[in-house]
Amino acid sequence: MMSTSQVLKATRLLRWSDAGIRSVQTSCVDYRKQAGRHFPTRYRTKPLTYEMAHKPHQIAHHKGWNSWNTTNLGGDRDQFWSGETAAEDQFIRQFITGTWHNMFASEVIIKRQHNIIRIAGIISRMINPTKMYFLIGYSEEILSYWLQCPVKLELQTINDKSEVIYKYI
Amino acid sequence: MIVSKPWNELFVTCRSVASIHVRSLFQTSALLQTETEGLLDDDEEFRVIDLKKTSQKSVKKFQREEKPVLPPRYTRMPVDQDWASVWPGPRSFHPATVPLPMFQGNMSDGLPPVGKFANAELMKIPNFLHLTPPAVKKQTEALRKFCTAWPEGLETDEKIEQHFPLEVITSDYCHSAPKIRDPKARIVTVKFKVKALKLGKHSKDKFKRLCKDNYSEERDDVCIVADRCPVRKQNYEYAMYLITALYHEAWNFAEWEKEKSEVDMEYYDWDLNKSKQSYVQLKCWPGKPNPETVDFNTPEAIKYRNAVTDLFNKGEDVDTLAKYKEAVKDILGLS
Repeated sequence: MMSTSQVLKATRLLRWSDAGIRSVQTSCVDYRKQAGRHFPTRYRTKPLTYEMAHKPHQIAHHKGWNSWNTTNLGGDRDQFWSGETAAEDQFIRQFITGTWHNMFASEVIIKRQHNIIRIAGIISRMINPTKMYFLIGYSEEILSYWLQCPVKLELQTINDKSEVIYKYI
Repeated sequence: MIVSKPWNELFVTCRSVASIHVRSLFQTSALLQTETEGLLDDDEEFRVIDLKKTSQKSVKKFQREEKPVLPPRYTRMPVDQDWASVWPGPRSFHPATVPLPMFQGNMSDGLPPVGKFANAELMKIPNFLHLTPPAVKKQTEALRKFCTAWPEGLETDEKIEQHFPLEVITSDYCHSAPKIRDPKARIVTVKFKVKALKLGKHSKDKFKRLCKDNYSEERDDVCIVADRCPVRKQNYEYAMYLITALYHEAWNFAEWEKEKSEVDMEYYDWDLNKSKQSYVQLKCWPGKPNPETVDFNTPEAIKYRNAVTDLFNKGEDVDTLAKYKEAVKDILGLS
């Protein structure tokens, strides 16, 4: 075991050496949590949805998950298809946000029941109903072809995105 | 000399020259304009050319044409409608269809609860709106025609056990995934009572010994778990093979099995032990002990035999010791 002074000396040597790579972290660690958190503005003008207003550690207490599936229920050993599900969910989110460009007023909610994938969310009525019906059919068809299972889009429409604003911070 | 001038002075002169040029240009163009119009008004000021374009026209923002939206569906629903036809299967919550005043959301922020419209939380949670009691009743009625009556003669568990002594347990797994395969589905568990097999005294003992930990003393059954093959069918066949092999091996009597001594006994047998000899000695006293003259079917003999067997097989406790005491007192004629 090295003493503290020895470690410090070693790190100093590493820092000034010509190795080109510093593999030891010499700065203190900042455990600042920032992901999924929104910080207030000066005049409280930042609009937040209910989802954004609650922090990640409040999932299952104040708000629900955005992905619902049973792949993590088998414990540590019997996890089946959980990694693939996470990757697929990310892909679905990217596809949906790109296809329904600037229309989703909520997060994309992905619920899996057996082999069915239900994609739910709130969209604003920015386009004609005809186009919306086309996009629903298009998304369902393309995603079910890629993911090899039935996909259903269950959407709720709102007139304006201000309807989902929960509070201003 | 221009060269000797400082830079800022040079810049000023350049600017003044440019302004003169612009003014002369502007005057000529204005004259041209007044001539063409034929109306020369001295009082009116000349228009000033706006080179920097400071004033801008206000651009009208594009406004989406508002399409008429139908009122929510629940406003047009009759009170006595068939809800099972409105919400026939599992589906995400939709506020316009559900005619209930619903709220969901945490109120710790001091804000009013969030209503059902534009509420993503209600869409996240699984709902059971398709499983109302009338809907369940309707579905069970529809399924009833596919059901068959319970077979006669299988009313009780004992009868089922008698007719179907072998219990095969397998599991199918239903994941929220596009796969129906699961490695755990290959495992086959086979259970049966030992008494269901036709075994003799020796073979029964041998069967239990061969089964080792798979045999349960308290339930008197054998449980075989087969999971070494990749497919369920193979595991099932392997389990069946194991049962057959165990059964036939149990009936085999090898020469070395005769060497089984009292120490190797897995249970206490009164007939093979010293206790029986002592009993015979006691009964024949003061004569020479002769087992053939002693009756082992008297109540006191059976009682003593059971008491001693229990004492060794079940272990010493208040009950067995008390029984033993009573039995000894009986055979000694002290009670």
